[in-house]
Amino acid sequence: MKIRNFPAPVAPVIALICRLALGIIFLYAGLEKIIAPSEFALAIYNYRLLPDGAINLLAVILPWLEVLLACGLIAGSYVRGSSLLSALLFLTFSVALTISLVRGLDISCGCFGGSTGSINWLYLFRDTSLLAMSVFSLFFDRGWNSFLLRKSMTLAENERSEG
Amino acid sequence: MNALQQNRKFKVASKLYPAVREALIIVIITVIVAIAFNALRPSGIPLFGFSSSELIKKQQANIPLITIAEAHDMYLKKKVVFVDARDPLSFEEGHIAGAINIYPDEVAIHLTRLKSLLSENAIVVTYCDGPQCPLSKETAHALLSQGIPKAQVFINGWSLWLHAGYPVARGKI
Repeated sequence: MKIRNFPAPVAPVIALICRLALGIIFLYAGLEKIIAPSEFALAIYNYRLLPDGAINLLAVILPWLEVLLACGLIAGSYVRGSSLLSALLFLTFSVALTISLVRGLDISCGCFGGSTGSINWLYLFRDTSLLAMSVFSLFFDRGWNSFLLRKSMTLAENERSEG
Repeated sequence: MNALQQNRKFKVASKLYPAVREALIIVIITVIVAIAFNALRPSGIPLFGFSSSELIKKQQANIPLITIAEAHDMYLKKKVVFVDARDPLSFEEGHIAGAINIYPDEVAIHLTRLKSLLSENAIVVTYCDGPQCPLSKETAHALLSQGIPKAQVFINGWSLWLHAGYPVARGKI
C-alpha cells in the first residue's frame, strides 16, 4: 500500500510532524554549536576526515546552516529546499559516522555542540531515521498553506487524482 | 509502462528542481550570515586558521610529568605500567623492567595488550631517552586519545632510571 493512497490528511500530517521535529532538533543543535565554535572545530577535527583549511570554515558555516534550516522548517517557508538540505546533511553525517565507527575512533559526536557523548551505532540509527524523516518531509510536505487554505487542498487533491 | 515511468521520473524531477533552487538560496544566505556573524562576534575564530600540528603540541604540553622518585615509588607499589616509546632496537638493548615497547605510530596495534596489563588504579608512564626526546610525549598523547584514562611522561626516563641503578631488563617483550 502506497503512502500517497492513504486518506487525504495522513501524509501531510505526518510530514508536518516530521518537519517540526526536524526543525526543533536543528535549532537546538545549531545554537549549541554557534555558542562555542572552537569546540565544534575540535570535534570536526577529531573525525580526521577534513584538511586543516576546511575545519574552521565548516565550524563557522554549518551551525548557521542548521539554524536557518530550522527556521525554514518551522516557519514553513522554503520547505522543499530546507528538507533537501537536511536530508543531504544527515546523509553526510551518517557517512562520516560510519567511517569513524568502522575505523574504531573513540571520539565525541559533536552532534549537539563540541562535547557530547562518544559515538556509537545508536547515533547512526538516529541519523538514518532523521534522514528518512527529511526525505518524507521533502516529498509530502507543502508548508502551512496546505492546512490553512482550502484552495491548496483542492490543488493537492487534483494532483493526487492525476497520479 | 514506459510512458508511466517517464511521467513518474518527471514528477520527481519537478519536485526536486525547486528544492535544489531553494537549497542553493539557503546556502548562499547562510554563508553570508555565518561569515558576517563570525567576523563581528568577539569570540570569532579565523576562517582558515585551524592548525592540527599546533593543537597536538598544545595537547602534548598539557600531559603531566612525573619525577624519577615518584616513578620509582609507584613502580614498587606496582601502580604503574611503563611504556618505552623508543625504537625496538634500543628497547631490546635495555629497558625498565616490566616495560612494554610502544612507538608513537604503533599505539593502535598494542592497545589491547596495554589495557590487559593495566589494573584499575594503575597509570601509564611513557619514557624515552634524553631531555629533548619527543617520543614519550607523542606516545602518551596517542594513548590518551585512544582512550587510556591516565598517562604521564617521564622525561629522560631511560638514562635517569639506568643511572639510579633501578631494575632493568633486556630483550623483546
